[in-house]
Amino acid sequence: MRVMKNKKNLITQNTMIAYMLILPALLVFAIFMFYPLFYTAYLSFFDWNMIKPLKVFVGLDNYKALFSDPLMPLVIKNTVVYILILLILNCAAPYILAFILSFVVKKGRGFYKGAFFLPSVISLVVGSILYLWILNPVSGPAAVAAEFMGINIPIWSKTQGLVIVVLSIITTWKIFGYNFIVIFGGVTGVPQEIIEAAKIDNIPLYKIFFDIVLPMSSATGVYIFIMTIVQGLQYVFTPIKVVTQGGPDNASSNVIYDIYQEGFLLYHTGYASAMSIAAMVLFVILLVIEFRYVEKGIYYEN
Amino acid sequence: MKKNILKAVAAALMTASLLTGCGNDNAGSEQSAQGDKVKIEYWHVNAETQGGKTVQELVDKFNAQSKDVEVVARYNPDMYKGLMQNLQAEAAAGKSPAVVQVGWAFLDYFSNNFTYSAPQKIIDKDFSDDKNFLQDNFLPNVLDLAKNSKGDQVGIPYSLSTPVLYINRDLLRQAGLDENGPKTWEELIKFSDTVKKQTGKYGFYMQEPADNWAQQALLESNGARMITDGKASFASEDGIKAYQAYADMVIKTKSALHISWDQGVQAFVNGDVAMLYTTIAQRANVQKGAKFDVAAVSSPAWEGKPKKLPAGGCFLAITAQDEKQQKAAWEFVKYLYSVESMAAWTKGTGYVPPRKDVADAENGLKSFLEENKMMKAATSQMDSVVPWASFPGDAGLQAEQLLLDTRDKILSGSISAREALTQTQEQINNLLK
Repeated sequence: MRVMKNKKNLITQNTMIAYMLILPALLVFAIFMFYPLFYTAYLSFFDWNMIKPLKVFVGLDNYKALFSDPLMPLVIKNTVVYILILLILNCAAPYILAFILSFVVKKGRGFYKGAFFLPSVISLVVGSILYLWILNPVSGPAAVAAEFMGINIPIWSKTQGLVIVVLSIITTWKIFGYNFIVIFGGVTGVPQEIIEAAKIDNIPLYKIFFDIVLPMSSATGVYIFIMTIVQGLQYVFTPIKVVTQGGPDNASSNVIYDIYQEGFLLYHTGYASAMSIAAMVLFVILLVIEFRYVEKGIYYEN
Repeated sequence: MKKNILKAVAAALMTASLLTGCGNDNAGSEQSAQGDKVKIEYWHVNAETQGGKTVQELVDKFNAQSKDVEVVARYNPDMYKGLMQNLQAEAAAGKSPAVVQVGWAFLDYFSNNFTYSAPQKIIDKDFSDDKNFLQDNFLPNVLDLAKNSKGDQVGIPYSLSTPVLYINRDLLRQAGLDENGPKTWEELIKFSDTVKKQTGKYGFYMQEPADNWAQQALLESNGARMITDGKASFASEDGIKAYQAYADMVIKTKSALHISWDQGVQAFVNGDVAMLYTTIAQRANVQKGAKFDVAAVSSPAWEGKPKKLPAGGCFLAITAQDEKQQKAAWEFVKYLYSVESMAAWTKGTGYVPPRKDVADAENGLKSFLEENKMMKAATSQMDSVVPWASFPGDAGLQAEQLLLDTRDKILSGSISAREALTQTQEQINNLLK
């Protein structure tokens, strides 16, 4: 009986210490994540513009409006296009590059690593303004160079479709370096002997990539895959805000910018809250699918 | 275990409320701690290239000579719309700057949604010496620009600008055109197309920032009205015709540029566009950057019709909440309207001075106006100035946004001006209900 009691005391003491240790992190999460999240959910049931003292309860009206908003299909389509382009530029491209630098061209690796990572240090606002100037289709340096070769640069900031591509490229400037370094770490982790053996057997490079390197570094790959989608969409916000403000006619707006525009430019606070909740639910569903199906096939070294 | 988590959450919430509580206290004590010098904020929209340096100079000079007031200037990006949005966020947080620049287009929106003090009210309360300051120094029609639809004097006109046409004389000559530029929009369209044909360069660019100011000048000069009796009415025959003529330059003859404002001005300054239709406030920037024979001429008119040019720029409104701050605000505002400060403001920005006695005074702009012929383009068209259209009610911001989207639609050629303007007018009027 006494022993039991002692043991129980010990456990509670230990757990208390454990709780004390997670408390700081929990506090930060509570203040900056949970509280805003619940408050957003709460606000999504009201009609409010952030200054009026009175919030009008409207029930599910904001969610209903969300599904009948004529802008929604366009914004969602844009978001998907952003994701696809970002995946190509910031997940597939660095993967291939990392493979080449690890197993094909080994000279000057250090230089490339530094060079690719360098732009990640510069603020995206600065980068966006810089690109606005460089890519000025009429009189920027890029236009002058293109004219020399007899090419006309289209007015991308006002061209549907193209504007998304250019904004994605500006964003790539920021995230490519980091993604490349991380994937490079994963790819170099593949044992050199296996690659050498494959090479001796005259296996073509693309097969080495798809059948050996990709599966063996898939843990890193999936991490970058998800980060590209989640973080990329947030990073893309900066060039949208600086360069186009969602224009022309919402052609460069994505879900995150649209929420910002509704919430902080037009002050439809309730509607924007409903939109953020819907976006969050969507991302949660995507993550669940990912854990269900993709995570199973992943190779973890340890 | 569950209890513990609950406890932790409770503790977190308490700390959160404590933290926010502290935040408010700090803001309060900051002012009182300064004691002898009242600290006030002045919000403006002037970027480096648009008079930002002059704002800082004026504020520094004021701070140096004032014993009891210290002004902090805060820049707001995205022009007057941006400032209005920041002000909204600030008001939501329960705070407020002391003096703000309010764009003409937001006159009604501002006076309906924010608490401000009418300047005459503060004067009457605390500054009996300045009793006639407003009557003595401003023309009545200029003061009227800052009256809202209820007839209240919301603030005092500060920056006055009108759209003018900057021309690249070298390019016009090269295309065999009159180097003095076009007088009418009909001529301008011909000029633009000729430049495109003869030189391969662009003929024309009309500013496309996040407002419809320049487009309003185009439409209203042709007889359209943006707003009639509180309802959008721009989709009249005159309005549609004017917008379509402009769109045709962009889409059909491709002689006009459709691009963002910064890039458009940059293209003109680099000599790639022959004519630039933008605010006189860009004068200093254009003058400094252009390496060719550049001039400014008055806004074109539509043949046989009177010009109607929206007054651009802003008025100053006092948003200080407590009396101490309000007094300080008036002291600062009065300083900004002195002849010397007004003259410095015009020199730094190209805005036309709103108060009397500045243009002819020796310590004002006399010699400056003699030297700067470009300013004449703006000062000579002041008789055509009309208020900048401001959509009433809470939906004002959204109405403005809809017009921006419409501009993109028309200029991309995806829809005709008639269809787009009619749809948008209907949409805006539904919002305004």
